[in-house]
Amino acid sequence: MTSAGGFIKSIESGSKHLVIKRFTLRYPEKKLKFVGDGYQFDPKRGVGIAGYRGRHILMHDKCTGCQLCAIACEGIAEAIGMVKVDEQWKHNKKGIMPQIDYGKCVFCGLCVDACPFYALFMTNDYELSAFTKEHLIYTPAQLAIKPKYQGDVEIVIDDRGATHG
Amino acid sequence: MTSIEEKFEESKRLGLQIVKESEEDRLMTLSVGPQHPGSGHFRFVIKVDGDYIVYCDPDPGYVHRGEEKMCEYRNVIQNIPHLERPVIHDSANITYSYSLAVEELVGIEVPRRGQFIRAIASELNRQVYTLYWLAIYGIFLGHSTMFMWPTGDREVIIDLLEALTGARVTHAFNIPGGVRNDMPEGFRDRCLSQIRYLQKRFKEYEDIFYNNPLFRQRTEGVAVLSKEDAIKLGVTGSVVRASSVPFDVRKAEPYDIYNEIDFKVQYMKTGDCFARSYVPLLDMQESCYIIEQLLDKMPASGEVRAKLQPNPKGPPGESYRRVESGRGALGYYIVSDGTPKPYRVKISVGSFRNMLALPYLLVGKRLADMPAVYWSLNYWPVEADR
Amino acid sequence: MASYPRDFRFGGFVVSLIWLIFWILIIVALVGLPLIFIILFYVPLPEVDGEVLTPYLFLTSILYPQSAIPVIETLLDTTFFKVAVFPGFTYAALIAAATIFIERKFLAKMQLRVGPLYAGKIEGILQLLADGLKLISKEIIIPSGSDKLIFWSAPIAFVATAAAVVALIPAAPGWVVADIDVGLLAVFAILGFFPLIALLFSWASNSKYPFIGGLRALHQLIAFEIPFILSALSVVILSGTLNLTEVVESQIQSYWFIFFLPISAFVFYISSLAELERIPFDLPEAEAEIVAGWLTETSGMIYGLLQLGSYIKTYALAALFVILFLGGWAGPQIFPAEIIPESAEAIIPVSELYEQTDANAAFWFTLKTFGVIMLMLLPRGISPRIRIDILLHTGWYKLIVLAFINMFVALALIYGGVLGPGGLLVR
Repeated sequence: MTSAGGFIKSIESGSKHLVIKRFTLRYPEKKLKFVGDGYQFDPKRGVGIAGYRGRHILMHDKCTGCQLCAIACEGIAEAIGMVKVDEQWKHNKKGIMPQIDYGKCVFCGLCVDACPFYALFMTNDYELSAFTKEHLIYTPAQLAIKPKYQGDVEIVIDDRGATHG
Repeated sequence: MTSIEEKFEESKRLGLQIVKESEEDRLMTLSVGPQHPGSGHFRFVIKVDGDYIVYCDPDPGYVHRGEEKMCEYRNVIQNIPHLERPVIHDSANITYSYSLAVEELVGIEVPRRGQFIRAIASELNRQVYTLYWLAIYGIFLGHSTMFMWPTGDREVIIDLLEALTGARVTHAFNIPGGVRNDMPEGFRDRCLSQIRYLQKRFKEYEDIFYNNPLFRQRTEGVAVLSKEDAIKLGVTGSVVRASSVPFDVRKAEPYDIYNEIDFKVQYMKTGDCFARSYVPLLDMQESCYIIEQLLDKMPASGEVRAKLQPNPKGPPGESYRRVESGRGALGYYIVSDGTPKPYRVKISVGSFRNMLALPYLLVGKRLADMPAVYWSLNYWPVEADR
Repeated sequence: MASYPRDFRFGGFVVSLIWLIFWILIIVALVGLPLIFIILFYVPLPEVDGEVLTPYLFLTSILYPQSAIPVIETLLDTTFFKVAVFPGFTYAALIAAATIFIERKFLAKMQLRVGPLYAGKIEGILQLLADGLKLISKEIIIPSGSDKLIFWSAPIAFVATAAAVVALIPAAPGWVVADIDVGLLAVFAILGFFPLIALLFSWASNSKYPFIGGLRALHQLIAFEIPFILSALSVVILSGTLNLTEVVESQIQSYWFIFFLPISAFVFYISSLAELERIPFDLPEAEAEIVAGWLTETSGMIYGLLQLGSYIKTYALAALFVILFLGGWAGPQIFPAEIIPESAEAIIPVSELYEQTDANAAFWFTLKTFGVIMLMLLPRGISPRIRIDILLHTGWYKLIVLAFINMFVALALIYGGVLGPGGLLVR
């Protein structure tokens, strides 16, 4: 009667889980915490700094309009286009800055790798949904806003199992 | 397209005289097509006589996106994001092989710590893929709990990979020259605790799924693939290891630092559906041991990425490298003509080779065995179509 | 997120309100009022205190509630109440709805996740309402080559047959819609109609996957009817009657039959899982192999009707298990003699409506039925689907042998004098 033993074991295993805490993350009341501020790249050392790859942030006081991010993205997703901005910066003679179309971006971060001036990083913000496709194109002014993301839970593993807490 | 007469000859040769040629109107043609809960992005046409399958004709190509052709228009670094899309869960392995081939072509030396981190990401991705495959295997057999538990446990590993690489799936982490960023702080302890959690969960899977008499009745002795047939058909990965051929690319042709890691190649001798579903679980156990060794032996600090020119290119030539991915041996053959963009990239995936066993195995089986056999061949439709 | 949200115009809102009021007035005036007058004037109303109840007397009960109590009492005794409310349609539908919700939450807890969460303020309570509204609003697609008459009437026949089984089940002493002397045989006769409906519907769908599913349903349902009947027959041997109310009466006087016939209870449980097409026996509906089996071509309310019928059948078979093996409504009396204290009674004499034995019986019956339903939901979280040859082998060989063994046990108990005349049971 090994099959009876197998059935009893499976019933026991299934019923054991009725007393384990659920694993589900109750989004959007609770959101996940991230370590760090987002993916960044150090051009001097040539290596990235670990972080979440969410929305980009553009430092207007460092961007020189060199277009290297747009050139890197051309072969991947063609999501970065350079547009003229009204601001006058000494280091940005041409007056152009990148605008990113999040309808096309694949969030690979190779544009961040391409920037040699510490101007383009990625942040922890991933809640980018919009009602129209035009709202997904983020202008340089929109990209300069620092995101406000509050994450408060993370995966906790204890003796009884894992849960989001 | 073989005709039905040739298939009858084939089944006669295999000793399965199912239907005589004059009774062809007894057969019913079913298209287990892309709009079927039991097939994925894949279609195969089967002819059924009552409850027995007489003929099977796989029809892949529904997700073909021209990956190999797209590689010719991008330079070697820009190829990474689209090359990892064929298998989104296992993306570290499919770009690992590409990076190895490009490094051989261009002549880059990867720093030691970078090799270790690449191997850790590859093993974690193998676990993520195998858990997802196991979940779908459960739901194909009607076991909804076995669908939910591995999918939930996969979240633990994906959380870990998110901390390491920055994205949950399709990490774009391996590039020619190493990896893109170093490990974050606290990664080592987090990784070890999550590996221990996963090892505890394997016991639950065995209790409710593998030792369940109903599952065993459905898969033991079904669709046996003998050792000679497995080698003749050229299947790879967990399918060939379940037919008592202990072949693993990590042991047969070690790449990077796999010759310093001590692990066993898990294989089973029976070659039926149960063995093919159990070998990936054993592989996952081995992965846990490998990750522990990797974390121990890793150099405490060092470079993780070799510095490259903006458009890396090498002398004209060709290279072929392969790795062991979740489905089997995954190889890249790259031909370069001295420019930054490759001249030809050919990807050889394990799924496509495993698919060749499908018409051979399904003839003579019941209709109810069809999802069990089909998914046990460790087939990922998107990867097979590239 | 593919559509634009339209801008709110107050004029449009007012216009839609006016249209709503207009249609309500038209329907009330042309349809509602004549209907009320027909009911109040032509349907024979009960006599109250020597006078025939007129509509005007009816309206005075708004001012003097205690004059409505005798009316409600007479209503509670009518057959219509038994058919529509308890233990008839409303009761069965409420239990079926609660079953669906509890099944989803229970399975979710076993699978370490949350079930329905967002419909309704508390943990998805209104999910069923949302699903029902969704199914009603969907388009019903009829395949072109299908047999329209059977395609439309088979789901209705399914629900009607399930409701017919519910009509034979007593929930409390005296509370049964159809008190037939051969109640158990009638249940089996009606249950034998289900394979026919499944086969007709699958043939009428004119498609390959429903055809395979319908054949599988036919094989499965017919194969498991025999152990079903045989295991219930051993209960008949012990209690000596086919009338379901008297089966429960004979259990109240002695012990519950599950102690004497455990193997029979097990066979009955497995056969009822197979009759309900629940996992592990849901081959006719196997998703990964034959899309959705004989339900493939259903959409919208036809699918809703089939699911409703399936869950009403679940309640019916679980209630049958409780009646045959678990003692029906037997249980300690926990309801007090009066539910409202003396002082409040002068205004509204509700205690005439409330019989404590009946309320107690209904409570224990419902509790035990829910227990058996939870037991039927458990295999869904634990086992995979079975294959057809193993299923037929189990149904035709193993279960019939076990049912026969138990029948011999029952006969031995009777002729050995343990039960029956001279023993524990009074027949």
